[in-house]
Amino acid sequence: MSGVPIALVGALMTESLAAWHVAGNVEETCDRVVVICSTKQIGIEPAAADSMFRWLVTIDGRTRSAISLLAVLRQVREALDPGYASNPVRVAVAPLVL
Amino acid sequence: MKATTPIPVSVLTGFLGSGKTTMLAHLLRQPEFSRTAVIINEFGEIGLDHELIETSEDNVVALTTGCLCCKVRTDLTQTLQDLLHRRDQGACTAFDRVVIETSGLADPAPVLHALMTDTDLAGRVVLGGVVTTVDAVLGEATLEREAISRKQVAVADRIVLSKLDLIDGIACSLLGRLAALNPGAATLRAVHGRIESENLFDAPLRGADDGALEISSWLAPAREHTHDHYDAEIKTYSIARTEPIRAVALTLFLEALAEHCGADLLRLKGIVHIAESPQRPAVIHGVQHVFHPPAWLERWPSADRTSRMVFITRRIPRRWVEVLLDAIAAEVADVSAASSVHRD
Repeated sequence: MSGVPIALVGALMTESLAAWHVAGNVEETCDRVVVICSTKQIGIEPAAADSMFRWLVTIDGRTRSAISLLAVLRQVREALDPGYASNPVRVAVAPLVL
Repeated sequence: MKATTPIPVSVLTGFLGSGKTTMLAHLLRQPEFSRTAVIINEFGEIGLDHELIETSEDNVVALTTGCLCCKVRTDLTQTLQDLLHRRDQGACTAFDRVVIETSGLADPAPVLHALMTDTDLAGRVVLGGVVTTVDAVLGEATLEREAISRKQVAVADRIVLSKLDLIDGIACSLLGRLAALNPGAATLRAVHGRIESENLFDAPLRGADDGALEISSWLAPAREHTHDHYDAEIKTYSIARTEPIRAVALTLFLEALAEHCGADLLRLKGIVHIAESPQRPAVIHGVQHVFHPPAWLERWPSADRTSRMVFITRRIPRRWVEVLLDAIAAEVADVSAASSVHRD
């Protein structure tokens, strides 16, 4: 069971929709966040306390687990933005400071 | 291979006709630039710019095969390696600095990426300063019209206003627009290509013998700088956190920024109070999805231990960045607390 406040997850989803330029709404209950867009409805809730995962993400009736909020964010983005291609972080080999 | 001090490689960029080559030609006549190698990227079959540079010919390389930002992996890195090899062999005039003049249409970000990530260049070069020239006469119209010119300004460490000899005064609106695009960059002035050259191409962060770094100017501005009236897309803002940030939270935060923002994160720099390293703050720097490994300061530059990060972005809302960091920090704290309970 995640101890992250649901309100914070809701705020993250609301701001993420704005950042991704996706129209939609976010609704919160005490234990669940629902992202509602024109073509999708996505539910996000904490996984059970005995689960090795932290979150459950339900998209089009199919529930998948997620190990972190970053994984949740990735699943939601991929569902809402079919053209999305993530950029893996690259670490520079050159030093920052001479 | 013998151990050598990394050579700073600086980038001179700016839109077409903004005075890059004129300024460079002037600089290379100065004694302090006598040990400088130059790579000039010219876009077109017949390059002319390198003919305008009067210096030791074996230290000037013209890249005329195409736009540098499009062919950077092969052409630029190979050229740099060749230059370094010639230097090692004593086959060219010794140099201790390289300046890359991009074509006026080039996106500087891929050039910076190449310098930051090429494994064959690792240990041999270090990213120097990014200098962007702006035509004081036509610059405002160019910034209005050309998105790439706005990006060239946004990633600069120093901005040079050129062609001041052609006008009576600098338009306040141009200065305002430059400050809006990149308020942290120093704005310098060139007349007939002449400019006070001291430190122009230096890296904005240089380590001193005592491990200190001049952080405050590098991180300016600390306060939010919104400028919707100038550019709807490019925004500069800072976020601050008084609570220390766990190392894993910072790592995940940077990973999320890279993953979701990519090319829209034009530049990120900051000083961060890492929870696991309270005495030695981390200095972070990224260009788009490429980040330097953090540099660790010997000590805090002042009594203020607030983490500060400056973002130069395109279409990335500040509020999203703030909430993202808060959510990741909360989750990391939650996992850490749960782990502590299990251990106990």
